[in-house]
Amino acid sequence: MHFFRVVKWIAWKDLLSEYRNRENISSMFFFALNVILIFSFSFSLDPETLKEIMPGIIWVAFGFTAIIGLGKSFLIEVNNDCMEYFQCLPVPKGAIYLGKFLGNLLFMLTVEIVLFPLFVLFFNLTLLDQFLPLLLISTVATIGLSALGTLFSALTVQIRAREVMFPILLLPLSVPIFIGAVEATRGALSGDPLSSYQHWIELLGVFDVIFVVVSFWIFEFILDY
Amino acid sequence: MAPPEGGAVKGLYLRWSILIVVFSVIGFLAISRYDREVRTISPKVLLSESPNTEKRLMGMIDAGSLKGGSDGMPFRFSLSSEGAKAPVVFSGDDRESLRDLKTIVVIGRWQADKGVFEAGEIALTPNYGFITSAYVFSLIPLILLIFSMERRVALLYVMIKDEKVYQAEV
Amino acid sequence: MVATRFIGWLRRFEKWFGFVAAILIAAGLYTGLVTSSPDYYQGEVVRIMYVHVPFVQTAMLSYFTLFICSIWYLWKRESVVDNACHAAAGLSLFFTAGGLLTGSIWGKPTWNAWWVWDPRLTSFAILFLTLVGYLMLRTFLEDKEKGATFCAILAIIGFIDLPIIHFSVEWWRSLHQPSSISTRGISIAPDMMVPFTLMGVGVSILFAYMLMVRTQMLYLQHLLEAKQGRLLSEGQFE
Repeated sequence: MHFFRVVKWIAWKDLLSEYRNRENISSMFFFALNVILIFSFSFSLDPETLKEIMPGIIWVAFGFTAIIGLGKSFLIEVNNDCMEYFQCLPVPKGAIYLGKFLGNLLFMLTVEIVLFPLFVLFFNLTLLDQFLPLLLISTVATIGLSALGTLFSALTVQIRAREVMFPILLLPLSVPIFIGAVEATRGALSGDPLSSYQHWIELLGVFDVIFVVVSFWIFEFILDY
Repeated sequence: MAPPEGGAVKGLYLRWSILIVVFSVIGFLAISRYDREVRTISPKVLLSESPNTEKRLMGMIDAGSLKGGSDGMPFRFSLSSEGAKAPVVFSGDDRESLRDLKTIVVIGRWQADKGVFEAGEIALTPNYGFITSAYVFSLIPLILLIFSMERRVALLYVMIKDEKVYQAEV
Repeated sequence: MVATRFIGWLRRFEKWFGFVAAILIAAGLYTGLVTSSPDYYQGEVVRIMYVHVPFVQTAMLSYFTLFICSIWYLWKRESVVDNACHAAAGLSLFFTAGGLLTGSIWGKPTWNAWWVWDPRLTSFAILFLTLVGYLMLRTFLEDKEKGATFCAILAIIGFIDLPIIHFSVEWWRSLHQPSSISTRGISIAPDMMVPFTLMGVGVSILFAYMLMVRTQMLYLQHLLEAKQGRLLSEGQFE
């Protein structure tokens, strides 16, 4: 189908250009590494405190990664005058959104999967037996973050104060993601059964569905004026 | 360019003067109600003025002065603030509200001949400062916002109708 | 000319809204501050509620207005509707800030803290930040039509997000809330119902009046700017 080909090719193009210059992923990764470093200085690292604050550290690091990575998502399209071509594509404009969203989601997940071993290394965590729940939580939370982030990136890309405006718009509206992800991660890290924090994952899932659908529908208006 | 003063702008000022008068009257009524029902006096004022109407006395219960209260006997204690002390007889049954070193408000009359304040009721300590600041911080910006918007609209109508807008600046 | 007719309609009817609102608010303040008796539990402090609750209700009403106007704008693309969106957002920010401020002043004597992470307070703080972001986006987007579209999208997304935010914050608080802080709602005595109703209805009508005035103000400002802009470009050609 035409629609899915567009989605696939836009995501593919982003991944390919990322594979060639590694600009986005490396900046996201090293930024998150710096955040972890600063956190390790900011808090006392005895095991009790660490257990309390670890979910917060993980999700603040991932949140910063999202701000760095997603904010520039549409910049490359504007700089190369691709927005006009997007407007000409004979498919629902939501396909372009879905393509960009998938690309961003894959970047974010790659960085997060690389970062988890570093958390284990730096903070002496034992994540291995909780690997699957953590992967599920990160995926569900990252879908929501990428859905909102991709949309707001398109909104803010053409203004001067892009770097400031993107987090100012994204962070308040992604509060449910951070609350849900932090609480679910806390449950997973303390080794609770999945059922005790399942409702947080469901909340994240509902958020994902709503915002992927709404953004898909509303993206028509961003390209179309 | 000085703002042009049209008839609309004059009407605006007239309307707002009426509003200010109405709200000042309400403010005055609120303040007089506060004077009548909520304002407290300190033991120092009580001793120096010895009023003969019902008053609200606020002070801290002196440590160790709280006596009585058993077998239907009234409570006896002294309230102090600003260095002045007033002896109080409290005939109500409100054991929980009375504690050493607690600041309370008692409602009653000063018996100058006995040299004691006879109270029948304990009231909540007033915090009118919070109420005043809540109203001041919400209503004054509201009034200023509405006034500035109305004034701007009135001026804009005048400016747009004014022929000068269409003339090129030299 | 839809816009001219609309503005003319606003100009004709605004004074009635202003008049009714002024009377209701004057009556509400009189009953609230002068004749009503203090609450049994909260004492005199309950009088803050007569201004706090209407402000909070109006903040939500204005955000709902912003949402409706944003959908209307995306549908019809009338620039005067965009002026209404802009006006509603500014007023919503004002009433949200007022609600937070009066709530904080009420919280100090009641909870003995200026700020607690109560679900309602937290959701309102997030609403406040969203509105600040909305108005900032408006100032940064120079193309007027694009700015209107983007801001309408942001308002719609924010409005859909708001219940989820409130829900998640409520869940989160139920996990961490220390039991010492009570968020007990006030039991409303009939004596207190009168100022509540008068102020609530009065401030809502006042909001309608302010929205009408502010929409006119923004419309006229843009009209004036457009005229002056045309004037400047004409001056250059001469």
